[in-house]
Amino acid sequence: MSESAYSLQESIKQLPGNIKESVFRREGGTPEQEQAAAIFGNVFLHLHPARVHINSLRLSYTYGLGLISFFLFLLLTASGVLLMFYYTPATQLAYRNMKDLEYVVSFGIVLRNVHRWSAHAMVAFVFLHMCRVFYTGSYKAPREFNWIIGVCLLLLTLFLSFTGYLLPWDQLAFWAITVGSNIAAYTPWIGDSVRFLMLGGNEVGQMALLRFYVLHVALLPLVAVVLLAVHFWRIRKDGGLSRPQNS
Amino acid sequence: MSHEKEEIFPRDPNKTYSLMTIVDGDSFQVEHGPDDTLLSWPHLMVRELLLFLLVFVVILGVSLLFNAPLEEAANPLHSTNPAKAPWYFVGIQELVSYSAFLGGIVAPVLIVLSLLLLPYLDRNPKGVGVWFSADRKLATFLFSIFVIAMIILILIGQFVRGPNWALYWPWM
Repeated sequence: MSESAYSLQESIKQLPGNIKESVFRREGGTPEQEQAAAIFGNVFLHLHPARVHINSLRLSYTYGLGLISFFLFLLLTASGVLLMFYYTPATQLAYRNMKDLEYVVSFGIVLRNVHRWSAHAMVAFVFLHMCRVFYTGSYKAPREFNWIIGVCLLLLTLFLSFTGYLLPWDQLAFWAITVGSNIAAYTPWIGDSVRFLMLGGNEVGQMALLRFYVLHVALLPLVAVVLLAVHFWRIRKDGGLSRPQNS
Repeated sequence: MSHEKEEIFPRDPNKTYSLMTIVDGDSFQVEHGPDDTLLSWPHLMVRELLLFLLVFVVILGVSLLFNAPLEEAANPLHSTNPAKAPWYFVGIQELVSYSAFLGGIVAPVLIVLSLLLLPYLDRNPKGVGVWFSADRKLATFLFSIFVIAMIILILIGQFVRGPNWALYWPWM
């Protein structure tokens, strides 16, 4: 719009177009330009390249294992945030919250089931994803560092699952964490200190529950999100998914 | 002034070339050789969306059919027997039952260290992008031993260890 011709009426007429343009940061282009801009003009999708190699789309190459792991992480985040509305990390309340989820909250049991089964599935699929990357030799140069990020993400997945395991505060949770923290206590010289740091005490109690809760809902997911962003960004920077040299 | 154009893709001597038509250059592919790529939108994104829906539906279906386990409230005075770690750590727990230090500390640390160092130890550049490439039989073999050992240890710990971590057969 030219400066001299400013009028309120014109502004209102152009309102939908102007809003659309300010959101999408672009004016219309050819269909192909629009399709490419749909990827690189979007903060969430720009981790993707605008074009992908057809080998990356072959289901029998990746089996979508990494994507499935990420989607499970999304489901876990969504169901986890909803569960936080109904959960108190206190030894007297935690188990009662579980019973309330089952008998009082509408669809509370389904919510808890989604979170629990997604967590188990995520551990399995992250491991399968690692196997795929190994068996296709995809950790070789220039993708070495992304493999390391991936190993860190596998460990994070295990820690996330382990810290979440204590939260229902039932016999299964309590004794599994007792066993797990006792394994950590076998570290030579500093074993007892490691367990004390983990549990905030010498045995599983209120301090351990609070520690596991904070790690589970805040610290570990934050680290995971950052590492996931680096992981995806590196795929692109390292030239997309691995593929045979001649293709 | 001679201005030779850079060759975009090599001519195939077995083919003949002729000018068919001239089009307006509004595509990113103009002045690019042929390649095997597709636009991420829609080809990749639609597949990703479908996979997400599949994952969501399967998880929802499982969640409607099976309830997550919940035992009695935690009681520090009454230990369960056997007390088992979560299934992904039960393989480590099985190793701990042989030797606490070797199984509980040395083995996990070695596993993590060798995973971290793997790309720097295996510098064989061959066999990228192919499942079970014949160029890396040794790597495939060694990693498979690790995977199978982990699975067997987890199966033993999860299914055939009873009270006091003694072997028992679930069907007896």
